[in-house]
Amino acid sequence: MVLEATMICIDNSEWMRNGDYAPTRFQAQADAVNLICGAKTQSNPENTVGVLTMAGKGVRVLVTPTSDLGKILACMHGLEIGGEMNLAAGIQVAQLALKHRQNKNQQQRIIVFAGSAVNHEKKTLEMIGRKLKKNSVALDIINFGEEDEEKKEKLEALLAAVNNNNSNIVHVQAGPSALSDVLISTPIFTGDGEGGSGFAAAAAAAAAGGVSGFDFGVDPNLDPELALALRVSMEEERARQEAAAKKAAEDSSKQEKGGEEPSSSQDATMTERASAVTSEAENKSIDFMDDDNALLQQALAMSMDEPASSHDLRDTDMSEAVADDPELALALQMSVQEGEKDSASDKDMSKLLADQSFVSSILASLPGVDPNDPSVRDLLASMQNQSEPEQKKNEENKPPNDEK
Amino acid sequence: MSAESANAIQRSQVDLMDLIDWSGVECLNQSTSHSVANALKQGYRDDDGLNLESDADEQLLIYIPFLQVIKLHSIIIKGPEEDGPKTVKLFSNKEHMGFSNVNDYPASDTVVLSPDDLKGKPVVLKYVKFQNVRSLTIFIEDNQSDSEVTKVQKIGLVGTTVETTNMKGLKKIEDGH
Repeated sequence: MVLEATMICIDNSEWMRNGDYAPTRFQAQADAVNLICGAKTQSNPENTVGVLTMAGKGVRVLVTPTSDLGKILACMHGLEIGGEMNLAAGIQVAQLALKHRQNKNQQQRIIVFAGSAVNHEKKTLEMIGRKLKKNSVALDIINFGEEDEEKKEKLEALLAAVNNNNSNIVHVQAGPSALSDVLISTPIFTGDGEGGSGFAAAAAAAAAGGVSGFDFGVDPNLDPELALALRVSMEEERARQEAAAKKAAEDSSKQEKGGEEPSSSQDATMTERASAVTSEAENKSIDFMDDDNALLQQALAMSMDEPASSHDLRDTDMSEAVADDPELALALQMSVQEGEKDSASDKDMSKLLADQSFVSSILASLPGVDPNDPSVRDLLASMQNQSEPEQKKNEENKPPNDEK
Repeated sequence: MSAESANAIQRSQVDLMDLIDWSGVECLNQSTSHSVANALKQGYRDDDGLNLESDADEQLLIYIPFLQVIKLHSIIIKGPEEDGPKTVKLFSNKEHMGFSNVNDYPASDTVVLSPDDLKGKPVVLKYVKFQNVRSLTIFIEDNQSDSEVTKVQKIGLVGTTVETTNMKGLKKIEDGH
């Protein structure tokens, strides 16, 4: 909540065309600038932010410190890449712009994006740093793009000369994660205090999903149907992949207990039907917990050398059941969807299902279900397994498996 | 001459420390462990162990706003013989100066301190220039030994208040003839 005037120095030199930061260095930088501006203005409404470019024909101030976010974002459009970055001049002009800020009560801060190589002498940079310290200007340096030891040393020396407890340096490597995502977790954002970090957290959540801060790159406000369709298909894909992954993981144990597959697929069917009657929320709990406990049960089963991993296989063989029954497939997808959304009622439901009498009474009311069916008994046993992962009911699994 | 100045001090005898608006006091280039409070505040400034020290270089810029308008008569600067201030420029009613524009304005007064003055002797200023002071900026340009760090033990300001209306004293005129 510190009242601050910030000048952001952007590197728009030729080196920013490189694509090692997605999509280009320049675009990653622009996204980071947008995030910073938003965070600063949110943390304190009286904060002002200004932007200048360091390369191109020369250092140019695009917008003087203002609290109008729209103006700042607008000036980022139509920026051209070219020329060489002049770090010293950029910082000095930023200092001058801050000196002439309207509200003299604001703390002064400069944020520099150092993308291309630094050609200045270390001594020059140290002198600039000392001047900043003398005028109590804080400096944040974001070292990205060109990587070399000399550049790193020079920037560290510059920071040491400024030597403010407010000043930070961040080194961002090229990689899969976006520049803005990396920056969110740094003191540059979190140093803003409560307001800034709240904004940053929201931005992080949004950015994790998509490109420009919206889930799946589509604004839910503008096009809700498209956003919903994208989300549903994303989750279906995730469910399919999970099932496939489970199946692959279970292949080895499958070979040992191949005979249990048919019963397991029936168990899956039972799972679906039983849950569909009671509630879909339950369904997701079973599936969810099955996934979670699958590996645990598998490990226990192997150590106990008992065919208790039928329940594990049940998860993977859901995909087989799915293939058999299109309605089942639909129910499965819906249940997985809801399983992703809400796992709060997990524990309640599993306790409910652990109540064997309750479950059997429900099953008895279902058409085509015989409570004495071994696969049903299997299912009941698995209910209890979920509430008691110690697998006390393994004996119940044996009879159906022996029969198969 | 000294007798005259002593008399002058007796007439305008108020130590202006009580009239300083502490929320607005700023000091540029002070070192964090040795801040301006060490030189200005009651108790701290009398302790010779607590100094105001400069940080990146030897210059210091201190901005002191007052709670009301004052007339400044003289200034007391106490410092060590070697690292104490030498050239001190005073600016009245100039807000938010920076090191870059100190030389743009003529100072209201310039004082060159001798080691003798640094013992705590009041230095009389051009009273006529400080008749209507809302805020004072003290620019310490260099020190006695030209070292990197300037140390100041005490800064005292002596003067009087300008007669201002005390709003609390205003009484409603009774309209009962």
